[in-house]
Amino acid sequence: MSQRKKVLLKVIILGDSGVGKTSLMNQYVNKKFSTSYKATIGADFLTKELLIDDRTVTLQLWDTAGQERFQSLGVAFYRGADCCVLVYDVTTPKSFDTLDSWRDEFLIQASPRDPESFPFVVLGNKTDVGEERRAVSAKKAGQWCQSNGKQMPYFETSAKDNLNVEQAFEVIARQALAQEESEDFGDGGFGGDVLDVNGMMERENSSCAC
Amino acid sequence: MSSSDGDDSTFSGTDSGPVLGSKPIEDGFSQLRVGDLANGSANDGDAAAAAAEGSGDGEGIAAEAGEVEDGGAARARAGETEIEEIGEARVMWRSNSEGEVEAQASPSSSGYAGERGSSSGGSGIGEEEDEIEEVRSDAVSDSQAAWMPGKRHVDEDDASISWRKRKKHFFILSHSGKPIYSRYGDEHKLAGFSATLQAIISFVENGGDRVKLVRAGKHQVVFLVKGPIYLVCISCTEEPYESLRGQLELIYGQMILILTKSVNRCFEKNPKFDMTPLLGGTDVVFSSLIHSFSWNPATFLHAYTCLPLAYATRQAAGAVLQDVADSGVLFAILMCKHKVVSLVGAQKASLHPDDMLLLANFVMSSESFRTSENFSPICLPRYNPMAFLYAYVHYLDVETYLMLLTTSSDAFYHLKDCRTRIETVLLKSNVLSEVQRSMLDGGMRVEDLPIDPLPRSGSLLPRLGQSRPLTDSQESLKEAYAGIGGPAGLWHFIYRSIYLDQYVASEFSPPFNTLRQQKRLYRAYQKMYASMHDKGIGAHKTQFRRDEHYVLLCWVTQDFELYAAFDPLADKASAIKTCNRVCQWVKDVENEIFLLGASPFSW
Repeated sequence: MSQRKKVLLKVIILGDSGVGKTSLMNQYVNKKFSTSYKATIGADFLTKELLIDDRTVTLQLWDTAGQERFQSLGVAFYRGADCCVLVYDVTTPKSFDTLDSWRDEFLIQASPRDPESFPFVVLGNKTDVGEERRAVSAKKAGQWCQSNGKQMPYFETSAKDNLNVEQAFEVIARQALAQEESEDFGDGGFGGDVLDVNGMMERENSSCAC
Repeated sequence: MSSSDGDDSTFSGTDSGPVLGSKPIEDGFSQLRVGDLANGSANDGDAAAAAAEGSGDGEGIAAEAGEVEDGGAARARAGETEIEEIGEARVMWRSNSEGEVEAQASPSSSGYAGERGSSSGGSGIGEEEDEIEEVRSDAVSDSQAAWMPGKRHVDEDDASISWRKRKKHFFILSHSGKPIYSRYGDEHKLAGFSATLQAIISFVENGGDRVKLVRAGKHQVVFLVKGPIYLVCISCTEEPYESLRGQLELIYGQMILILTKSVNRCFEKNPKFDMTPLLGGTDVVFSSLIHSFSWNPATFLHAYTCLPLAYATRQAAGAVLQDVADSGVLFAILMCKHKVVSLVGAQKASLHPDDMLLLANFVMSSESFRTSENFSPICLPRYNPMAFLYAYVHYLDVETYLMLLTTSSDAFYHLKDCRTRIETVLLKSNVLSEVQRSMLDGGMRVEDLPIDPLPRSGSLLPRLGQSRPLTDSQESLKEAYAGIGGPAGLWHFIYRSIYLDQYVASEFSPPFNTLRQQKRLYRAYQKMYASMHDKGIGAHKTQFRRDEHYVLLCWVTQDFELYAAFDPLADKASAIKTCNRVCQWVKDVENEIFLLGASPFSW
């Protein structure tokens, strides 16, 4: 059998500064966690290979900076994304409230072909803090995820305790893969329409004044 | 010999001359522009750079063994400097591995300056030494060995020290940052690196600008944006920017040859489009093209070369190809390796030398063409980048192949018939055996450069230099240079005819015994070509440059360009005299070394 083509998926990670985007990626890719905070400048890039149903999938992870001053980079960075991950901090209500604008901003800048079905995954991070310090309930987050037309998968994660990280990224990969496959199918691929022999002839006829 | 050109403004030929006939450079040194000829005049910097390139330790060796950078501890330090510089330029794109990621970061981490931890220095040097030994042994064993096709070092990624030390990287990626091709390493493992490249390009683009070149220490990063396709070269070979950019253009052209520019539409429809499956199995085509950047002068001269053949033989081949072209074939091309035997175009269709280079590279690097007759869609990027043509390809012997190009997708059987007819005629008229003989005999040799003017009916075949007894003056000159090279210490030359879009290069002879030396000479020619065609400082007419490796003399006229390499101790005046003789010689044998008349080129 011919081997199935390897897939490369571009995943953009968005969310306010300090919610733990970089920590989640570092935990997922490098199995490392550091309590010291370092702001991401622009964007970081990581690669992670995983198997989804015997298919080799490479995730190209774009860990973006949360600060507003970097948002002008959007168009350049979001183009051609296969999945968008929205991250908020369960101890900071504001980081949850801004999910709307992160999502909208992404859809505007990336302008995916079908915004309704574009895959988003939502992660509520820092669940290791304990219930008493929690400011955004799981229920509230779940409602937001459902209120956005298509149901967004939601995970409560802890980059520090490596809780749900692996599971979340697997779903991210599956969502992106499903999207990729449905579009591949609709595309009709590259062949066929490019055999433009008639155009060739036209060109010859019109440019033969040499 | 005309003496009317004492004027210092030009050495170019006048309209009275035949195609190759430019007036000779006058013997008298005084008649040359001293400014142009003085060693290091307009090109002081270049001369110094040339010397630096020349001394580039082990570049050639490394090249044939996969272009691994040579170097011990000193180079390791240089490497660190370079990382720091990149670090500065990278303010916006911090690599993921700051302090908390340790030196043995997982191979999946990205970032050029990834492992900068204090512990990585020591282990790095250890690995480096391994690498050097590996390179050395390769270099010794294959300094003359054939180049191996296909992609090497697939196991590497941007975290590998060996990958970082490769002297010349080429990348193709999409405008969303998805990798399409990398010369070294696995594309998917380089996804993070590829994303970084896209971020740099897109960031600059966002500011309404365009990034062309980044210098970081010894490295040049050259960018070429072709719509949704981004091409990047990272090199520390000290080749001029124009040359590297030209190489990226050729790589893009090779991609277009395989897919046409219609791939752009796929990206318009779907920015996430992944092109890699479309290019499946073509690694070998790209790696062979990249390899040719270091041995095939056609890649920077934008001209093709012919197999030397008796005029009548080439005419016979051309006649049968013309018959076929009249029956609806767009181009009929007969080639032996990268040399043209004959070619014919229908009507006034013109074939660009770059298209020929890319087509020949495609055919020669794809093993499947050798085993059977083949009908394949291909696109000639300079002819029409939007559309496929169909190429019928058939090898007539191990090295000689026929290519018939048509616009009709159902022409296979017709072209097959054409090929049978052509093959019969070529066999009957002994063209194929002549071709094989010419491959064995080789082309022009500097040793055979006639000292005395030849009778007009000069011929390369059979070689006059071999059959003719040496004259006294030849004897004395040969003695003076201890049997190396031709008269006046001439070691090698390339002559490019501007009107014909063709060049002829002399065969390599001592001291260019090894691929390493040959490659160094090509790089020197390439550099000279770039400096002669530098638009910023106007076209040069002549250039004389001396370094520890050779004297290089370049002479550009309206009709031709001559690049010649001499012994580094060669006398300037006699080198100039010798160049005049070379031009005369080329002119005397032009019937045999060039494809003349019945040319399909429209100019």
